[in-house]
Amino acid sequence: MPDPKRPLLDPAVLAKLGTLKLRVRAVTEGVLSGLHKSPHHGQSVEFAEHKEYAPGDEIRHIDWKAYGKFDKYYVKRFEQETNLRAYLVVDASGSMGYRGDPGRLTKLEYASALAASLGYLLVRQQDAAGLVLVQGQVAGAIPPRASASHVTPVVEALEAARPQGETRLAAAVDWIIENAPRRSSVVVFSDLFDQDERIVKKLAQLGRRKHEVTIFHVLDPAELEFPFDDPTLFLSMEDGRQVEAHGRDVRKGYLEVLGRWLEETKRTAAEADVDYALCRTDRPLDEVLVPFLARRERSAA
Amino acid sequence: MSIGFLHPGLLWGLLAAAIPLAIHLFFRRRPRPTPFPAIDFILRARRETQRRLRIRKVLLFTARTLLLAAAALAIARPRAERPGEAAAAVAEGPKATAIVLDASGSMRYRLGGRALFERARADALGALASLGPDEPATAVVCGGETPAAEPPGFDRATVRRMLEQAEAWAGHSDLTACVGAAVRALASPPAQARLGKRVVVATDLAASAWRLDVPPPAIDGPEGKVLPEVKVQDAARGAALPNLAVVGLDAEPDPAAGPRGYRVTAAVSSSGGEARKDVPLGLSASAGPGAKTAIRAFVDLPAGGTVRKALSYAFPQGGPAVLQVALPEDALAMDDARAVALVVPREVRALVVDGAPSPVRYRDEAYFVESALASPASPVRPKLVDADAFPAEDLSKYDVVLLLNVRSVGGKAAELERFVENGGGLFLALGDEVDPEAYDRELGKLLPMPLHVVKTAASPAEGGARAARFADVAWDHPALSIFVGEAREGFLGARTYRYVLAKPGPKGAPATVLASFDDGAPALVEARRGRGRVLLFTSSADRDWTDWPIRTSFLPAMQRFAGFLAGGLEERREPALVVGAQRTIRLEPGEKLVALVDPGGRERGRAELERMGLREGEHGGLVVTPREPGLWQVKVAAQGKGDRLEPRLAFAVSPDPRESDTRRLEPRELTAYFGGESHAKIEGDAQAAGAGRTIPLWSILLVLALAAFFLEGLLIS
Repeated sequence: MPDPKRPLLDPAVLAKLGTLKLRVRAVTEGVLSGLHKSPHHGQSVEFAEHKEYAPGDEIRHIDWKAYGKFDKYYVKRFEQETNLRAYLVVDASGSMGYRGDPGRLTKLEYASALAASLGYLLVRQQDAAGLVLVQGQVAGAIPPRASASHVTPVVEALEAARPQGETRLAAAVDWIIENAPRRSSVVVFSDLFDQDERIVKKLAQLGRRKHEVTIFHVLDPAELEFPFDDPTLFLSMEDGRQVEAHGRDVRKGYLEVLGRWLEETKRTAAEADVDYALCRTDRPLDEVLVPFLARRERSAA
Repeated sequence: MSIGFLHPGLLWGLLAAAIPLAIHLFFRRRPRPTPFPAIDFILRARRETQRRLRIRKVLLFTARTLLLAAAALAIARPRAERPGEAAAAVAEGPKATAIVLDASGSMRYRLGGRALFERARADALGALASLGPDEPATAVVCGGETPAAEPPGFDRATVRRMLEQAEAWAGHSDLTACVGAAVRALASPPAQARLGKRVVVATDLAASAWRLDVPPPAIDGPEGKVLPEVKVQDAARGAALPNLAVVGLDAEPDPAAGPRGYRVTAAVSSSGGEARKDVPLGLSASAGPGAKTAIRAFVDLPAGGTVRKALSYAFPQGGPAVLQVALPEDALAMDDARAVALVVPREVRALVVDGAPSPVRYRDEAYFVESALASPASPVRPKLVDADAFPAEDLSKYDVVLLLNVRSVGGKAAELERFVENGGGLFLALGDEVDPEAYDRELGKLLPMPLHVVKTAASPAEGGARAARFADVAWDHPALSIFVGEAREGFLGARTYRYVLAKPGPKGAPATVLASFDDGAPALVEARRGRGRVLLFTSSADRDWTDWPIRTSFLPAMQRFAGFLAGGLEERREPALVVGAQRTIRLEPGEKLVALVDPGGRERGRAELERMGLREGEHGGLVVTPREPGLWQVKVAAQGKGDRLEPRLAFAVSPDPRESDTRRLEPRELTAYFGGESHAKIEGDAQAAGAGRTIPLWSILLVLALAAFFLEGLLIS
């Protein structure tokens, strides 16, 4: 049911918006109008810490007052440099192309809208946002930057992504371990239908490297409810497997298996201190983003 | 305990139990291909629930099959039959068996599209097949005359062939006699004296086939009479056999309907069913299935009752004719129509010779006679001449000559004699012009009795008290048989004042007095002369001597006299035969029987007729025994005329009304007749399940079907 006060945040309405840019604008405007008092104002220009000068540091950043007091060169480090570096890991595997209803967004579209909106919001508050696109392997990556112009390639890359290949989030984990030198926030958008059943634990490895990991578990309502009644030939979206089953016959078993899996995923994420949010693609995006941003704010404080 | 069905024909419904399988095999819904990402979970769910699903599917399939099978079985009304007392009382071991197959007319009844006879034959063959190798068998086909059964033997092929070749005939069969014959056959071989005895009767249980007022058939044993085991197989399986039938048909001339009018009275019966309203009844002037209906009527039939329906029909011309009354065809078709063959009176050409003409019409001697003969409904066409013109008439142009108070015929007497000798009819009425002695001289050879003198009983002026009246009337004579009931009053009330006394005739010239006056003097005397007839009325044909001409009986009497003298009244057909009765076919000299054409239109040649029993009759003619109801036509060959169907010889054969009565015998009554339940058993009849020895299973099956229905719903949900 679309919220009459924020119609543009309804996924059904977003699905009618032709491009991801429009969707991002709609989402972020909605989110920002809902945030009333921005908790992010002025944060990016505040002083953060001193560092003893070393050759190669910017001379203009030497704190001359500290030199006068301690007779040593100290370089000022600003908040900007210690701000969040966020890697938006978007699963663009074949299974993400699913939507149970033609009026809804596909999981990839939903995840892209979430990721792009989050990227925009992060950049807007001087955080850096990068993108890692996974399609069996890392199909594309954009390093995190905090400039406003950086959002455009992220959005374009997401818009150009087509669902294909297998789900292999481990490739993204390896890539981030290799390419993220600093503590970063890793935000994963995926349905987690990974060949590796222990993928959440794998993602939790990033936590041990001081990265902050958040999983947006994107699932279609049809995957959660299994609304099939008739004899159906189910075709895999990532490989050639297929199975014939009577929807009515397997629904109960399917929902049991799915429920166990979701419970297991949630529990594993909690044990590994991984932030986890289940996102139905019929759920308004702000209901996903605002709690996440609020949590972020609390943890930053 | 054995399982039987009240409606075994409905067991075809069991095929419905295959519907779920057929749907599964041939009408399975094609699965819709649907891309789905979480296919792993489906596979896992299937793995986990496969066993449960398979059990559920099997249960669902079983429930559906059970539902349909139980419903179909329940409709066939199964029941479990306990062997009970009968089986217990019957001696164990092999038995000599006689199979009696009812081949009576009612076995042609079609139930569920199949004749009862076919069902009974199947039952009989089944009984034969179920016999053990050490059980001798014989068969009695109960159709027509009671056959003498062969002693039981081990030649099963002959018995089977006998049963297979048997046909139900259209007549009545006496099953009591047939069972008696079967029991006598069982008793005859001394070598089988130690064997038990069993009689199997395959019948429709029609009550009319049994005579339960005679002692039951028994076998004389060393310790007295022994009742055999009797197993009656009900071909109708307990079903009622409603039947409508034409059980009687009568056609009598009806002057009110015209010169060749007939009053046709049909008796229509209903047996074994409910009351019926507006049942169509058709009358046609020909026989056979293609007969065109001339008159259609409707009758209301009470349940188990008979009604009579009268219809009028006038034939366009005289001669041999057929009338058929038919009902719409029902399950027993043979009695839905009944035909009667009759001879419609031909036109009678009469010459009325007026011996005392008068310019005043009502005083004319011939006025009343001519008026009677020329009335609209009369078959007689009279020509009136006076005595002077009579000699000029050519008598060969007439069938009857009426001389009314003619003084003398003069030289015409010889021609008149020849005319009568050759088959003509002569009516003589007397009067003042007639001199008895002159008449005796001129017409002595023709007069039935010599005339004597005129007697005056009274004068008209004295009134009717002393007048003579008719007495001792031969009402059964063809010419007078139409006077019945109150109509006789019109005849007996006539008053005659004067008449001529007659003398007894010479020996060798017998005369029949049809009516006398109350003093014993002959009034109407008939005699045969050669091939012709003469009728003398000893009074006048006008009102001079009698007032009969103005009585209501005069007109029909004169017409009947004319018809009788012309030979038309005696051309009556014998009443319709019943199937199985003998018919004598009397051919004219020079005619030769070629074939009979049966009611179905099939020609049966001389050789086939001889196989059917055609033979020379003891009193002449050919005797044949037709076995099918309807109109049989006779094809003859005459010299120079070739083969032709002779309408004169056609005859109608009626079905036996007893076979139209399809009311069924109460099984308990039959069981009691054969010595009680210890000796007799009725199979295939619902009512025979009485006394708690038969358990109806259909209610259990319905409960089972209901349970299957709920289980199916539960599994689907």
